[in-house]
Amino acid sequence: MSKVFFSTWRGESINNVDKADDAWEESAYNLPEQYNEHSSSKAFIGWDGVALFDSEVDVVRLATEYAAQYQVYSEACGRCAPGRWGGRILYDLMDKIARGEGTMQDMDHLKEVSRTMQTTSKCESGKTVPTPRLDLMEHFEADFVRCIDEQKPSKHYDESVNYIAKITAPCTDACPAHVDIPGYIEGVRDLRFDDSLKATRQTMPLAHTCGRVCPHPCEDECRRTNLDEPISIMALKRLGADYETDHGFGFFHPEEKKPDTGKKVAVIGAGPAGLTTAYYLALEGIHCDVFEELPVLGGEVAVGVPEYRMPIDKYNQDIEAVRDLGVNFIVNAKVTADKMREYEKEYDAVMVATGTRISKKVRCNNERPEIDGYWSAIEMLDQVNLWEKYGIGEEVDLTGKTVVCVGGGFTSMDVVRCSIRANAKKVYMIYRRDEKTIIRNTTYEEYHEAVEEGVEFLFHSAVEEMVDENDVLKSLKINKFELVPDPDGGRAQLVKIEGADYSIDSDFLIPAVSQSADLDLLPEEWDIEMTSWATIKTNGKDYMTSRKGIFASGDCEYGPMTIVNAVGQAKRAASVMARYVQNGGEITLSDDEIMEDHLRRMKVYDKKEKITGWLPGLPREHSEVVGVEERKFNNLEVNLGFTQEQALSEADRCMRCYYIAMVAY
Amino acid sequence: MINFKINGRSVTAERGETIINVARREDIYIPTMCYIEKTSPCASCRLCSVEVEGHDGFILSCNTPPTEGINVITDSESLETERTNIMRMYDVNHPLECGVCDKSGECDLQNKTLEFNVGQQHFSAKDQPRKIENWGLINYDPSLCILCEKCTHVCNEVIGDDALDLLFGGYNSKVIPKNADTLDCTFCGECIAVCPVGALVSSDFQYSANSWELSKIPATCAHCSAGCALEYEVKHAGIDSPGEESIYRVTNNFEYATLCGAGRFGFDFANTASKDEAAFSAAVAALQNAKAIRFSSMISNEETMILNGLKAKLGLKLFNEDARQMKTFMDAYASVSGKQHYSATLETLKDSDGIIVVGSRIATDNPGVRYAMTTAARHNGAKVVYMHPLEDTLLQNTVTQFVKYEVGTEEGVLALLAQTLIVDQELTKREQAFLDGLDEGYLSAETNVGDDELALLVKQFMRSKSKTLVVGSDILAHERTENIAMLVAMIEKYSDFSVLVVPTQINSLGVSLIADLDEDVATENVVGYNAKGSFVISALGEGDLDVPALNQQEGTVVSIDKRLLPTNVALSFEGYTLNDLANALGVNAENTIDYTVELPVESGFKAVAFDDLENFYSAKGDDLRGYALSTVTAKRGGHPEEVAELPEFNGAVIYHVNPVLQFNAFTAKTTQLENDNNLYGSASFAAAARLSDGDEAVFEVAGETVRRIFKLDDTLKGTVALHPTFDLGLNVTSGYRFEQVNFMRESK
Ligand SMILES: Cc1cc2nc3c(=O)[nH]c(=O)nc-3n(C[C@H](O)[C@H](O)[C@H](O)COP(=O)(O)OP(=O)(O)OC[C@H]3O[C@@H](n4cnc5c(N)ncnc54)[C@H](O)[C@@H]3O)c2cc1C
Ligand code: SF4
Ligand code: SF4
Ligand code: SF4
Ligand code: SF4
Ligand code: SF4
Ligand code: FES
Repeated sequence: MSKVFFSTWRGESINNVDKADDAWEESAYNLPEQYNEHSSSKAFIGWDGVALFDSEVDVVRLATEYAAQYQVYSEACGRCAPGRWGGRILYDLMDKIARGEGTMQDMDHLKEVSRTMQTTSKCESGKTVPTPRLDLMEHFEADFVRCIDEQKPSKHYDESVNYIAKITAPCTDACPAHVDIPGYIEGVRDLRFDDSLKATRQTMPLAHTCGRVCPHPCEDECRRTNLDEPISIMALKRLGADYETDHGFGFFHPEEKKPDTGKKVAVIGAGPAGLTTAYYLALEGIHCDVFEELPVLGGEVAVGVPEYRMPIDKYNQDIEAVRDLGVNFIVNAKVTADKMREYEKEYDAVMVATGTRISKKVRCNNERPEIDGYWSAIEMLDQVNLWEKYGIGEEVDLTGKTVVCVGGGFTSMDVVRCSIRANAKKVYMIYRRDEKTIIRNTTYEEYHEAVEEGVEFLFHSAVEEMVDENDVLKSLKINKFELVPDPDGGRAQLVKIEGADYSIDSDFLIPAVSQSADLDLLPEEWDIEMTSWATIKTNGKDYMTSRKGIFASGDCEYGPMTIVNAVGQAKRAASVMARYVQNGGEITLSDDEIMEDHLRRMKVYDKKEKITGWLPGLPREHSEVVGVEERKFNNLEVNLGFTQEQALSEADRCMRCYYIAMVAY
Repeated sequence: MINFKINGRSVTAERGETIINVARREDIYIPTMCYIEKTSPCASCRLCSVEVEGHDGFILSCNTPPTEGINVITDSESLETERTNIMRMYDVNHPLECGVCDKSGECDLQNKTLEFNVGQQHFSAKDQPRKIENWGLINYDPSLCILCEKCTHVCNEVIGDDALDLLFGGYNSKVIPKNADTLDCTFCGECIAVCPVGALVSSDFQYSANSWELSKIPATCAHCSAGCALEYEVKHAGIDSPGEESIYRVTNNFEYATLCGAGRFGFDFANTASKDEAAFSAAVAALQNAKAIRFSSMISNEETMILNGLKAKLGLKLFNEDARQMKTFMDAYASVSGKQHYSATLETLKDSDGIIVVGSRIATDNPGVRYAMTTAARHNGAKVVYMHPLEDTLLQNTVTQFVKYEVGTEEGVLALLAQTLIVDQELTKREQAFLDGLDEGYLSAETNVGDDELALLVKQFMRSKSKTLVVGSDILAHERTENIAMLVAMIEKYSDFSVLVVPTQINSLGVSLIADLDEDVATENVVGYNAKGSFVISALGEGDLDVPALNQQEGTVVSIDKRLLPTNVALSFEGYTLNDLANALGVNAENTIDYTVELPVESGFKAVAFDDLENFYSAKGDDLRGYALSTVTAKRGGHPEEVAELPEFNGAVIYHVNPVLQFNAFTAKTTQLENDNNLYGSASFAAAARLSDGDEAVFEVAGETVRRIFKLDDTLKGTVALHPTFDLGLNVTSGYRFEQVNFMRESK
């Protein structure tokens, strides 16, 4: 809900022109009334309409500036004839009218050019740029006509107003790392895979990784869904990364590394968040030392996500891209509170990116870690991965053993599938809820593949008790639940079914319900503020902790989440930190970042939008998966990725939904 | 298969076809400014928008595949209106200099402006002055550029240089050299060809003639075995300049065919002569006395027939080592495969998704093959394994695995390949015994090709469905060529690879199929026909008798595609021809092309007369030039013998290979092509040869002293240097392309 003077946003029609201030009708959308803590906005104008927060706005000038912004963006584009020339003509005509030199014929030409752009432009930014202006011309025609009739500039033509614009897309907005998705898909479509990778790496250094194991929240907000099925966004990221690797090119970075600033930052943890922080700081010419407790780099993606989902040679490519910028990695270096105190003095800033590497308990009776057979998911996967990927430690061999995993998320899937690969006799997954939920929490593919490989899923179940003999696990007592609908129409409740308990003989119980953060490294006297779920607290915008100069990102800030979430946070944090270390310790957000947050709050994707100008019914491509017998007992990558033919036809489905939004304040 | 309608007419589309593909196939017109068949859609002009019944808005036909049952409308009032508006936009500030523009008369913008009846400039926008760029053989005028993106697409997707980029700047967008200040590319000139307006032009041709003054002579490029189709554009003798006709430029059917810069810019190699009676009589006498005729493969099939006739008539020998090697290789291949011709063509290579190249510096040896590989790599994601002693940076964005082998060990490499690629097949006992008997340890050690590399190679092709093995001329000229050929044939027979052999010269294949050749042994009294001899008959203009060059003759050649291709007279020749000599010696035919119909059918030729040969691409892109040779079966019974001891090349080695766009004495003669004849080597070569950058290196090739300036090249590795041969005139060698040489150092 926002207070507006006038709004056509998303088809609403609010006009408070002759109403008293307190009688104003409100907008149903979260429009950016307040640009930042210092300034309130005058107007918001975007692909789907315009909102005025103030009756004094010079609409002619506003329309002109929006055209100018499109000019700026099509400056960065110019990929189609109507957009390139139409955009220029629009701006020239608008400015002519706003200057007080326009004619009525110019108004006609404006409408004509607008129509051509709306129907024929290559991307949505060209198609939609005329939309809000046509709204203004319709509702405030008099203002335009006055400029022409009187041959006078518009009312605030020369006044200085801030116009801040940003280009976005529904998928980009939904992606926590805000990857320029239409940009990298265009690179695939144009067979310019280097450009594709560079587009990805602007905000996402881990292209191989996020081209494979990202849960792709972007696809939930892909506009193509309104037409048929979402674009297979994630998989298309692999092409640019593979191109770079397959041809032995060095590394394509989004831009040249800036000259050394003489500033340095310590990064604690070499997981996705740490790597990302280091990558973008290094690009800014800031030296980074990354300290990692484990003997290997990569965090949970290295020691959590198994080889058959994320081959380590590919992940190492992503890591090498970071090293290529001169980032210094120090492994086997567990950072303690003492070290933190030192680093705070030695470095211009510190990033804590230590993840959540403690498996939470199942909360059953007799749950004692000293029982032989109680094995936390993180420890189990550490051992599997360190051996399988690096030959460190000992092989996990479960021959003849029965394994029970309690979970329902990604981690538990990895536990059960790794157990199959370690030759376990029987593998159970115990989950409190149902099949539908597990699919929602992981992916359909992942669940289906686990079933294929022989994992038995026990739904609506929970472990009540561990039964041991002399501290050796023997069996588990399981309760069975059912979903009972709430007679009052509320959420259905899980209710234990009396007398349905059963017992499973088992050698291992692997809790994989969730993880928590080990934050012993934070000196007590710093008294760093925590969230209620025991992670480090920041405002989620600049990622500084309650202690100046100490930043946090990734799972240790958010709680166990995803790679892309860690990357998104760390990218933003790196940008804030780069300014912080160079401007004498001030925390700032760039206009682009402010707009990014506004847009996310408003949500760019509109699932009700009707799409025209595209042919529906072109099916989404699915990549080939190695057969179950071929993959079950080894580390072969299960998902082979698209063939080139599939990739190109998938890329062709993307509608390039670039949008331009602008705030005047 | 998808059934749908265009303007009510029922049509069908294959998987991968877009609406416009089908429309074009069905001769239904949809206007375009940025469409080009051989690349992915540029999708920049938006003129190809169409309507689909029941769906709102316009749909782009060039990148949308049809769906079942739709009815596409290609023309309507609203389409017409918006298309017209787009054309009006294109015309905004397009300089009105058609009068002096090279493209005038064949400019797409001019044509479409007329088609849409766009009169005066309807819209206007502020313009800024833009600078014309000179990029060597190419000039670029940004104010004429309509940013269709065809040039960038073709350079990246077909050529592989990826040398052009768009500098996106909205209205200020322009084409720029990619990651460089000036254009540093292989100068194929394909970007000029595809440019729909006069923005990219040949700097040599610019302002020299109007397109309508030129007549187009369809011909076959005379420089390499790709046998590309081109058109010589000739201005015939005017009233003011009688007799002075010349070629102004070369163009091509860029929609389907592609030229390299040698074909496009290296056209002025014609010979001039008048009828020199004395020289003619001397030539007749020389032939009568000759023990042999030595000739090169830069010769037509018909001329080869004449030489056969002379051999029969005069009882002399015919020497042509390059064609003889080709024949030796192909005969040995046939003895295992049971067919005379290898299976692949450039077209099938383009469609491959797995390629191995062995025994050629292919990018310069045969640009046609390179372009086919680029196309396969980009469009099909082909995995390309390049096996050679020298890495080639030109191929970096195409090659997915480089396998370096030691110079001279090609036989070992092919044996290892055979062993790797032939799996679970029913071989004959002898073949099985051969493979089982291979000493992998030895082969691996001597070739320097490791297990892990071969394992990676297999992994590369895991998902490939259509694979091609490309064999180059290092192997044709190898001492052990017969045995290697049999290994190649085994691979083809027992794996899913098809084979493409790259003939060394323009007509090596044709000559090898026609000529009755003898082994070249030092003999007195050899008449050279475009080759070394005691009496030289030459089209280069420096022999004892002048004859016409290949662009001054009618005749045919056989290309790498095993296709007989006709070529025509672009420039007339006033002197004598080989046929005149033959007639004087009793081998009678009125015209050289009378021999076309007589070409040996047992080698796959067809009894078709020259005048009955077609010479064009169909509107749908089928190559209808000449004909494909018929399949010829051969007697089986060949068996590879044990792999011989692999040779070692120590110390400084040179590799006979030409720089980009140079092939032979004819390209050397042309004016636009760069003449870089330096010897290029790495620092380790320099150390082995005791040369430093800038030294004059003096050494012997084929018994003649050669002097070259040595240049250090840090893109090279190892002790092999690149030695050009194009400027050696008739003194070219035909042996194995790597040679160990002794340098006599003469410091500058
Ligand atoms: C089994 C499993 C499977 C998963 N699968 C997926 C998936 O498919 N897709 C997805 O998007 N996400 C997945 N995730 C989640 C994802 O891995 C995490 O969200 C992500 O790795 C978080 O990144 P991070 O950098 O914040 O932390 P981490 O990746 O946990 O990295 C933290 C690093 O800091 C190091 N560290 C900790 N304390 C110290 C210290 N005191 N001193 C020095 N170093 C220290 C740790 O050793 C670790 O290397 C999975 C997680 C697990 C456990
Ligand atoms: S931004 Fe979109 S509409 Fe505008 S020129 Fe680029 S491709 Fe065309
Ligand atoms: S169609 Fe393409 S640009 Fe549009 S939301 Fe989906 S992925 Fe993004
Ligand atoms: S001449 Fe050929 S290689 Fe050079 S820019 Fe043009 S298309 Fe590319
Ligand atoms: S130079 Fe020619 S081919 Fe290239 S974008 Fe401009 S108009 Fe198109
Ligand atoms: S030299 Fe070869 S590749 Fe180049 S145009 Fe001539 S035939 Fe084609
Ligand atoms: S041909 Fe489709 S956009 Fe130009």
